[in-house]
Amino acid sequence: MHAQEATGPRHGMRIGHGNGGRLAYLGFGLAAAGVATILLVHWLVAFWVPTEAAQGVVQRIFYIHVPAAWACFLAATVAGLASAAYLWLEDERGDMAAVAAAEAALVFGAIVLLTGPLWGRIAWGAYWDWGELRLTLTLLLWFSYLGYFLIRGSVADPRKGKRFAAVVAIIGVLSIPLNHVSVVWFRSLHPEPVVFNPEGPSLPGEMLATLLTSLAGFMMLFLGLFTIRYVIENHLRHRNRTSQPDNSGALT
Amino acid sequence: MTLAARNLVCSYGPTRAVDGVDLEVADDSILAVFGPNGAGKTTLLKALSGERTPDEGVVVADGKAIRGSDPEWRCRVGLVSHRTGLYMKLTVMENLLFFGVLHGLAKAALAAEEALAAVGAPELARHRAEVLSHGQRQRVALARTLLHDPDILFLDEPFSGLDPNGAEALEAVLRERRSPGRIVVLVTHDLRRGLRLADRVVVLRRGRKVLDDDRAECEAEALVGLFTDSGSPA
Amino acid sequence: MTSLRWIGVIAWKDLRAEFRSGGRIAAMISFSVLACFLFSFSLGSLVAGRDVAAGLLWLTVLLASISGAGRTFDAEEEDGAFRHLLLSPVSRHAIFLGKAAANLVPVTLVAAFTLFALTLFFRIAAPGSVALHAAILLPGAIGLAAAGTLFGLISRHSSLGDSLLPALTFPALVPLVFFGATASSRVFLDRPWAEISGPARLLWGIAIGVVAVGALLFRYLTDD
Repeated sequence: MHAQEATGPRHGMRIGHGNGGRLAYLGFGLAAAGVATILLVHWLVAFWVPTEAAQGVVQRIFYIHVPAAWACFLAATVAGLASAAYLWLEDERGDMAAVAAAEAALVFGAIVLLTGPLWGRIAWGAYWDWGELRLTLTLLLWFSYLGYFLIRGSVADPRKGKRFAAVVAIIGVLSIPLNHVSVVWFRSLHPEPVVFNPEGPSLPGEMLATLLTSLAGFMMLFLGLFTIRYVIENHLRHRNRTSQPDNSGALT
Repeated sequence: MTLAARNLVCSYGPTRAVDGVDLEVADDSILAVFGPNGAGKTTLLKALSGERTPDEGVVVADGKAIRGSDPEWRCRVGLVSHRTGLYMKLTVMENLLFFGVLHGLAKAALAAEEALAAVGAPELARHRAEVLSHGQRQRVALARTLLHDPDILFLDEPFSGLDPNGAEALEAVLRERRSPGRIVVLVTHDLRRGLRLADRVVVLRRGRKVLDDDRAECEAEALVGLFTDSGSPA
Repeated sequence: MTSLRWIGVIAWKDLRAEFRSGGRIAAMISFSVLACFLFSFSLGSLVAGRDVAAGLLWLTVLLASISGAGRTFDAEEEDGAFRHLLLSPVSRHAIFLGKAAANLVPVTLVAAFTLFALTLFFRIAAPGSVALHAAILLPGAIGLAAAGTLFGLISRHSSLGDSLLPALTFPALVPLVFFGATASSRVFLDRPWAEISGPARLLWGIAIGVVAVGALLFRYLTDD
């Protein structure tokens, strides 16, 4: 993340198509603010927030894990909505936004999938517990966004590839609430001893503050990465379009 | 019935398969579109028939822009391509009945028999498509296309894979069907047959129109020159 | 009314071709037999059939229907018929519903057959009420058939082909299989309807949702 931040503005200037330049700066600004906030959260997690009584020190990983999961679901939702907009309005911007968001969903999903097992190793004594449905379902969601990119790349006609991928993204986002219903439903019948439930006011003040700070950091990081990726996608497509010397006429 | 295209552009990613084509088809006429492989002929035909929404430009029929998703438009369109579009496991009659019902024909069975007779293949009705020869299948495919009596007939390389008899039979049917209110758009690289049928000729190369002229002005040798880069665009 | 007629004639056409060639149904059924045989061979002496039958049933039906889904559009593409179907005045959702309805037949057959085979191989004396099994397997089969139709078309156009199908379908189908297996296991254990009605209703809801989403999105997959 640091390297990206450092080289960022130069890319931003090269990108400058219309308001693309300004958008790129906005993106880098957001991403930088996000990274800074997340660094602050690391400090908070290490030195400030009290240790949770029941689980001990390992619970602290959840200040990264939970916001990353929310950022992942937000990214998935944006990808689904942008895909729907692309199909409905046939506007290329919808597809570009969907690509940017789907990539972010993959990145944040990877963070969730890495931090979850780290916690599980200590809490459950195993890296992966297939009975832990929330983790398993995140893995499935992650796979459907992997499918999103596999589909795009494997269809001969790029327009078809985009449409197919959009359908996959929409189905992916629709399956999120359903998956969560199944988790909740499963829980209510088979209450498991290890349930971490970070719901609102039941948390002590410092924990809540740390969680919310981290959440803000991850949201900014998502919006920043999303904006940067969108500008890059826009730039790539623009370049591809104009690289054909014998083409004239209005381009969109 | 007239058909026209205005500044059609169809892209596959960065490649412009059809690149700013304008053309007009007059009533009661046959337009032949020639061009080497990969010139964008089939893509142009798909844009004209409404199968593919162009990235830019419009297709206008009788003064109104067409929408490929409009069922009324699809009722007026028929297609013959080098792939027959038959279901191999179904009999000829079942194939025809299926498409007849899809087109909402009231007496689908009767229409199917008439269409088979029109292409000179009434004896094939009970055979499964998979046992027929390619020529026989093409006849059945033509019958299937004529079933709903389309105003605009699109032919996508219809001669490929046909023996001379089959090709001549197809030519005969096309000539017979000529009448006011009908149009044929023929896409082919078979210059000889295309020129015999056409009233107007368009040559495409790399998605662009390099010739658009009356049949009377065209010579096969000159057209061949246009297929290659060395030929001078008109 | 026209839509119903279209759906009917498309399903009729698909089923007619399906039963004449028979390849897909035979492949799905033999997959089911093989799976049931292997399950009973590897698990039969370790566990009581009634405890695991529901999971195995849904696993087998899921995998069999995914393996069949890739061939939903075989007949359409054999000699370019799909282009003509799309160019006919039929609405896209009618094509989807017709083909999904035709898909439902092999999936239902496999589900019924697998239920029978598992009962036989695991020697389950009292497998529960057949009507209740049907009330749970039917929405499952509807959801699988509809999802298979949608994803079958996607994998058809991809150079990765059918290998893509599981990655695409599993995330969408997990809830279906999850509730299905839960409900089925309660039927196997002869629990009262009150315990089964909840997941059964959810299953019907999901099945209707999959069909509706498929019918809505199908046209974006078919437009050239």
